[in-house]
Amino acid sequence: MQHEIQARPAATVVKVDLDQGESLTCEVGAMIAMSSGMTVETTSRQKGGKGGLMKGLKRMFSGENFFLNHFTAQQPNQTIYLGPTLMGDVIYHPLDNATLIVQGASWLASDPGIEVDASWQGFGKALFSGENMFWVKCSGTGDMFLNSFGAIYEVMVDGSYTVDTGHIVAFEDTLQFKIGKAGKSLIGSFLGGEGLVCKFEGQGKLYCQSHNPPSFGKLLGPQLRPR
Amino acid sequence: MSTADQMQSDVQFEITQRPDFGLLSVQLADGQQIFAEPASMASMTPNAHMKAGMKGGFKKTLGRMLGGESLIINTFTAMQGAAEVTFAPGTPGDVLHYHLDQNTLLLQRGSFLAYTDGVELTGKWQGAKGFFSGEGLVLLKASGSGDLFFNSYGAILEVDVTDDFIVDTSYIVAFEDTLDYRVTVLEGMKVSSKIKSFFFGGEGLVCKFSGQGKIWIQTRAVNPYLSWIYPFRPTKNNN
Amino acid sequence: MEAEIADKPSFAHIHVKLDPGDSIIAEADAMASMSSDIEMSTRWNGGFFSAILRRIFGGESLFVNEFTTKTGGTLVITQALPGDMDVFELDGNTMFLQPGAYIACEPTVNLGMGWAGFASLIGGEGLFRLKVSGHGKVWFGAYGGIFSRDIDDEYVIDTGHLVGYDPSISIKVGMSGGIFSSFFSGEGLVTRVKGPGKVYMQSRSISGLAAWTNARM
Repeated sequence: MQHEIQARPAATVVKVDLDQGESLTCEVGAMIAMSSGMTVETTSRQKGGKGGLMKGLKRMFSGENFFLNHFTAQQPNQTIYLGPTLMGDVIYHPLDNATLIVQGASWLASDPGIEVDASWQGFGKALFSGENMFWVKCSGTGDMFLNSFGAIYEVMVDGSYTVDTGHIVAFEDTLQFKIGKAGKSLIGSFLGGEGLVCKFEGQGKLYCQSHNPPSFGKLLGPQLRPR
Repeated sequence: MSTADQMQSDVQFEITQRPDFGLLSVQLADGQQIFAEPASMASMTPNAHMKAGMKGGFKKTLGRMLGGESLIINTFTAMQGAAEVTFAPGTPGDVLHYHLDQNTLLLQRGSFLAYTDGVELTGKWQGAKGFFSGEGLVLLKASGSGDLFFNSYGAILEVDVTDDFIVDTSYIVAFEDTLDYRVTVLEGMKVSSKIKSFFFGGEGLVCKFSGQGKIWIQTRAVNPYLSWIYPFRPTKNNN
Repeated sequence: MEAEIADKPSFAHIHVKLDPGDSIIAEADAMASMSSDIEMSTRWNGGFFSAILRRIFGGESLFVNEFTTKTGGTLVITQALPGDMDVFELDGNTMFLQPGAYIACEPTVNLGMGWAGFASLIGGEGLFRLKVSGHGKVWFGAYGGIFSRDIDDEYVIDTGHLVGYDPSISIKVGMSGGIFSSFFSGEGLVTRVKGPGKVYMQSRSISGLAAWTNARM
């Protein structure tokens, strides 16, 4: 599998070249264009795995009927263009017998061999500024593509680092984390406008996004026609 | 750098803030005109005289109406000297220039931004082919000789088709009419109207292109944006 | 202090590196991430009346965040809007910014509120404008890409596209064309600016996006 990321950082797409027999699992709606030697299978099951339902996927789509698309190249030299739904970035992350925790809306596509578990509850009952936030635990070996709202920037955490929770895209599970308030005092945080932050500790890679959807939505929303 | 970037033009122009917030700046010579989509003017020198109207008469206007573009075309004319007009579409995205030379380009509705004298813009009704619930494929036809400016939602990728190529209909911006195309549902891909993220529908339709020619595709689709912003709308009970 | 604007003009954000003792003032909600050596405290934003005015009319919050560090650290400052950011350095002069365009400044800059006039309100640009003066850097942002023109005489700007301007610029509202054309063209009212001076504009507008979205809902 070869890939090329284009049109960074706001209308980013990834062009993936697949050889005959290779497959890619994507979220529904991610396919923009593809060459004609590709087939697609819409399913709720993990491809090539034990055939079981991807864990926690019901939550991913709030209990509605849900589907994933498995694209397979039936001929050599097939190409597929993938893109996320919102304006934003795409980044490539190779998993090497490791685990990455990904913000639910940031998972775009992965090698079918990677296990995707959407029932991860590592943050416990912490309240997040984005109400429908959930997290996906991705483990195994293979290629992964993440997307964001905003530009993606990487931080190699070595010690500790603090991120506003709305700006977390993904992080390696070698990191410890703690949710808390941003400012020195509770009142200060509330009035200052910073909501919850996540303090990461240890060593590992952290992907952040420069913007967050609810802040933009709340700015544009009031100017729209009421429903 | 796409082929379109290197084309000649009748009017002096510059496209900046690419590819996400493309802005078209046109320098009109004294008496020169440009015709544009309503509400697209961002700024201009005071001597760019603006007139709203129906260019091309009623029949052509009706055709344009079927293509989904509004009836009105705005005409900007440089009076008593050179003038500058900048154009910006309503959405984030790119702007591209194409010089028509007695050939034809087909444009998805909403992609048209502006054109110069010599270009004919009409609606091309797809009949049953385009008549799906959702986006379908209702196109505008641009032909003649002159400059055409079109925009996208997201960035524009130019693809040279030599074999068969499949594009989700929500991502088609424009293509040369040398290509054959048909709209269909992709085998194996299920479409569920219950999928929350596709509240506004349109998912699952693809356009299969064959032959030789250029396609311009955009990297984002409009319906998912509408689904996302929907909950941020004020509710009627909120005062 | 080192500050670099990244990912212009689409999702611009600022990577700031503070030396010990440095501080930067930023809008509430502007912090995306920061190293742990950075302390954030909240302070009252300027004089009492101007702060209240800003809250009611200008949309800026009553409180601003001051980011300081004793040992040195980094932080990433952003805005709610996808779009561009730019910076100018004040040297005893003044600039006007649309409320909402302000992102951050050095502590030596004065933030105040100015009256923009009723014409500005009718034109959709609001009654008030932010006045930045003093010395130091001011970072501002936009929806879309930021572009500028040095105006000698007059220039016409569609409402919603104005971001900032020199105090030597005067603004008034007018029609975009004749009566019929102004209405049917979709342009409506426009802002007519008169120089000499510099005008900053954005290549998209929230009102334009809202109108486009409303038409498709």
